[in-house]
Parts: sequence; structure tokens; C-alpha cells
Amino acid sequence: MRALVGVKRVIDYAVKVRVKGDGSGVETAGVKMSMNPFCEIAVEEAVRLKEKGILKEIIAVSIGPAQAQETIRTALAMGADRGMHVKHDDILQPLAVAKLLKAVAEKEKPDMILLGKQAIDDDCNQTGQMLASLMGWPQATFASKVDVEGSNLTVVREIDGGLETIGMKLPAVITTDLRLNEPRYATLPNIMKAKKKKIDATDPAELGVDVSSKLQTVKVVEPPTRQAGGVVGSVQELMAKLKEKSLI
Amino acid sequence: MRKFHGARALSLIHRSWRMRASRTFSHSLTRSLSTHAPSPFDPSPEHRHLREVVRDFAEAEVDPQAQEFNKEEKFNLKLFQRLGELGLLGVTVPEEYHGSGMDATAACIIHEELAAADPAFTLSYLAHSILFANNLARNGSEELKHAYLPKACSGELVGGMCMSEAEAGTDVLGMRTRAEQTGPEEFSISGHKMWITNGTLDGSTTGDVFLVYASSKSPEASSSSSSSKSFSLFLVEKGTRGFTLGQQIKNKCGMRASMTAELVFDDCRIPAKNLVGKEGNAVYCMMRNLELERLCLAAMSCGIARRCVETMARYARDRKAFGKPIGQFGQVQRLVADGYAKMSAGRAFLYSVAQKLKLDADPSETNERMQTDAVKLFCGEMAKSVADSAMQVLGGNGYLADYQVEQLWRDSKLLEIGGGTNEAHQKNIMLDFLRKQVIEIP
Repeated sequence: MRALVGVKRVIDYAVKVRVKGDGSGVETAGVKMSMNPFCEIAVEEAVRLKEKGILKEIIAVSIGPAQAQETIRTALAMGADRGMHVKHDDILQPLAVAKLLKAVAEKEKPDMILLGKQAIDDDCNQTGQMLASLMGWPQATFASKVDVEGSNLTVVREIDGGLETIGMKLPAVITTDLRLNEPRYATLPNIMKAKKKKIDATDPAELGVDVSSKLQTVKVVEPPTRQAGGVVGSVQELMAKLKEKSLI
Repeated sequence: MRKFHGARALSLIHRSWRMRASRTFSHSLTRSLSTHAPSPFDPSPEHRHLREVVRDFAEAEVDPQAQEFNKEEKFNLKLFQRLGELGLLGVTVPEEYHGSGMDATAACIIHEELAAADPAFTLSYLAHSILFANNLARNGSEELKHAYLPKACSGELVGGMCMSEAEAGTDVLGMRTRAEQTGPEEFSISGHKMWITNGTLDGSTTGDVFLVYASSKSPEASSSSSSSKSFSLFLVEKGTRGFTLGQQIKNKCGMRASMTAELVFDDCRIPAKNLVGKEGNAVYCMMRNLELERLCLAAMSCGIARRCVETMARYARDRKAFGKPIGQFGQVQRLVADGYAKMSAGRAFLYSVAQKLKLDADPSETNERMQTDAVKLFCGEMAKSVADSAMQVLGGNGYLADYQVEQLWRDSKLLEIGGGTNEAHQKNIMLDFLRKQVIEIP
């Protein structure tokens, strides 16, 4: 069985994100970038499925500028077999990403596609769902447990009320939630081996995908800073203040 | 169970992400390393990836245990074996012996990143991976390498090296431990070795396996003159008769999570196949390994300095006095800025030399000796002074163990003593100048 795993290069989770002076987006120059944590979980799950003998091949695909290759190398060092780099320099909306992944999937013919449930930069949480729809495949989102038996897929999902277990036939799209697994560190020998693994390159034009967007970013601003609070001496005083501000 | 959707909830997860943000302060100031052009610190993408992985690992798993193990003066064997899983224990050991086959730069990266979290743990790592594993890999017989290196690379065995004695430190060739051939296939070693890192792992028995330097009559000398002294290197394993723990050396100023011991050899009989390198040729093995050892010790100094600069810069930003951040005061600015400048100079020097060091070279044919002496001499003093500045900036808080600077301050001093005192490096450098016919620096 073959799996396609999407890996996105994002601003590192530990970086304090700053808005650019002109309000056109956030500052990325000189900022530490790394693999989206949910994508790391997707790679880890694929590697575990391969270690169980369920998967034969894992293809890590990333869409982005030249540096996205580093993110692919990280996936290769974790255990993916080869990489696919879709070169594109501008920001893409989830629909364009889903269309590109579909084009890659039609070429590579995977039995499952594993994606992070969302990226920690735009927090869209749309790509997996759109991709499943475009492919006409079933989808298992927010996975916290994945079991594969033959062509049957059983996924435990994290939902508001608790856990939901669903079953479906492969091929399918799986999006991974935080508690699915704990990603491994790449070992030094595997970092060296990753250097020799192949990364194919393509771009939206070659894949025949129109990535133009109908959305336009108007303005990006910092969240408002929290106002200092006040201390009240009694319940009566609190009620009076609330009334004064017409809050009750 | 909650489902995390929004960015706000995510920021909560990030704080506990893999628990690796336990000391999140290390990230924002220094994580701009990840530019794409090759840097002297990370000459290849693999070096950069290695640094990222080791830093993540150090923040998540090494940093949180440092205070406890240093306080208890205990070695964290479990954590050490995790380094084996990551392929770090045999960083410079060729792959055929289950090592990672990397270069001096990679070894420096690992030491630097680990030392920022826990220098004492890193010192044990150094004694094992450089003093034992690298030395054996470069100088040992095929039989010894196949027998011991795979276990050293996995962490099944923790190694060390025995050179110093109570009365022979800088004057290393004045060592009194002797090896005598007692049979066609047997040697007997007698003597005491002092300050041996990893000398014990439990406080009551010896560590697992050691490379031991001893004086011996050279084969040629034995026929002509008995006064001509030479040195040989032997591998001695725990449990060998006549090999015992003298004592664990406790109450060290710093580096307390690295266990140090006096080891005793009393007519310790070992087979001739345990000879490392040629008989009488141990000075060659010693010189060959010392250059890498010095670089890795200097890398530890750089790691200590990085953490100290980060800590004092952050403190100077957040701590207020007289109504403004103390970083607004010239006296504090000087400590932070000078510390940053010194650290940057030390790191640049370190990696420029590391890139030139060839691990398999004949030590008599390389020219890096003065440079490796100079790197360690510079970085040792540099880290000590940067740690001192950090403690000064943190004031009363810096003097407390909770802020880690206190530990780094104590640990940093060792690097002016261990693996060559400052005076030994000064002696080496001056004598190398005196040996030159023309003193000219290219």
C-alpha cells in the first residue's frame, strides 16, 4: 500500500509571530520555520503504518518555495521514502492546495492520503475535507487512532462530545489530530540517509492546476492588547460598576 | 476530550507540545539560525538538521532533568541511552561499527546543543563518544572495534578514558601507571588513575569500559636502555581482575551529574589483544584524539555561553528597576552586549577550526594543534566570563539554582581545567612557536 503525506512549512510553533509594518501579512524574514506540528503527526503515523507492514511506500509532498524541500527532507529523515516538491512562491488558499494534492495523487495513485488536520499558520482546517470531496473519497478527520485491516479503515475521531469511531473503505483521506501519536526525533543516521532519497519537483502549471484565488487579504493586524482590569471591594461595588457600564 | 480548533486554543497546545517548550526562552532569541545559505556553524543541510533535532531533544528531555541529577550527583543512564537511539553516541564512529560516520563539525554541534541544557550530562557524553569511542575507532584493531564499538554506539556500554593521575595532570607523561608484559599474550597494569569521567555509573562499582594509558618499556628500548620510557594504550573492561573503583569523587564544584572516579589497577591482567594501537605508540593515539577532544570541550563552552546570553538578554528585557527594563541601563547593556560579542567570536573560531580537522589524519602531519589549543583556551575563559556576566545581570536571582545560570557558572570553570588546563594550552602554543624557524602567522 502507498501513502501520500502532506507536509507544510510554517513559522515554528515557538516563535512569537509579528505582523508586518505595512499590514500585508506576518513577518517571515529571518524567522525560524519548521514542519507544521500536525503534519509531523501525519508523517509519524505513516511511518508507524509502514513499520507494521501495512504501507510499502510513503511519499511526502510539500507545496511552497524552494525551502519547502527542507521540510520534505525532515519527513524523509523521519522515514518517508521519497519526496515531491510542488514549487510555488505565493500564499495558497486551501482549495488550491487540495486541487494540487489531487493532481499529485492522480499521478502517484496512493491508497491513503494523510494530512494534518490544520496548519498552525492559517488555522484553516479545510484542505483535507476539500481534497476528499474533489477525489470522491471518504474522509476521516481529527483522527486520534487509525487502524487498517485489508482495505478497511477504522478511525477514532475527536469530536466535541467525546470520541467517535467510524469505518470506511480505502482509499481515503485521513487528517490527524494532536493525540494520534508523538512524533519521533529524526536519528542522525536517518538524517544522513535522507540526503540520498529522491525528491521530484513539479509546479502548478505542469500539474495543470489553476491556483488563482478569489480571496484577497485586505489587512492583517495585531490582536488588540488586553486592557488592564480593576479591583472591586464588594459584590455591591461590582454590581454598581456593571450597571454603570450598562453590562447588566 | 477537547478538540482544539482556534488559534487561541492552539497556543495552549504549543506550550505543552512534546513538552519541549519547557524552557521556551531558548527559542525566540536564537532560532533565527535556520537560514538557507550554508553557515560556518552548519556547513550542510544535514548539519543544520542535526542541530535542530539535538536542540529540540535537549530542550525537551535534557534540560528538565538537569537540576535534579546535578543536585543528586547522579548520572542519567536512561537519558544517555536515548542518545544511542538517536545515533549520537558514535557520532564520529564509521558506519560499519554502527556509528554515524560524521565529522568534527557534527561532534561540535551535538556538544554545543547538549551543553546549553546540561553541561555535566554532556561531559559524560564527551568522555564516552570522543575519549572512548572516537579514540578506539581511530586507533583500535579490527577485532576490538567490532567487539566494543557497536555496544558503545547503542549505549549498552558506557565508556571512558584514563590518562590523568593524582600527580600527573598537565605533566601527563609523568604518569606512574605501568604496563608490563607478563606473558606472550598478556600484560599487567598497575597504578591509580584520577578524575576519570564515567569512572563509576552507580557510585559503588567501576564504569563499563575504559581506554587506559600506561607507561611501558618500548620494544626497542627494552634491549638497549631501560631508562627510555614509552607509553601504551589498553582497553580494560569492568570485571577484569585487579581493576576496581577507588572512590567516587564527590562534591565537585560543577559538572555534578557527570560521575567522576579514582580507578585502581592492581596487577590487572589483560590479554595482549586489548592493546590499542602499537605497543609504545600511545602518544600517537593521544595526540590524534586530543584535537577533537579540545574542540568538543570548546563547543561545550559555546553552548554554556549561548544559554547564558539568552538568559541575561531575556532577563534584561523583562526585569524592571527604577521604572524601566534594566536593559535600558548602560551597565547591563555592557554585560549583555560584551557577552554576545565574546560568544559569537568563540563560536566562529570553533567552527572555523572544526571544518579543517580531519579525524583520520596523522597528528604529526596536521597543523591544527595550535588552533585547537587556542580554541579551547579562548572558549573556556569566554564561557566563564559570560556566565559570570549572566549571574551579575540576574542579581539575586542569578545566585539561585532555579535560574540555571548558577549551575552553568560552576560548570563553566571546569573547561579551564579539564581536557587540558589553560596553562597546558598556553605552554603548547608557546612551545609550538619556539619550534618554528620563522614565526609568521599566515
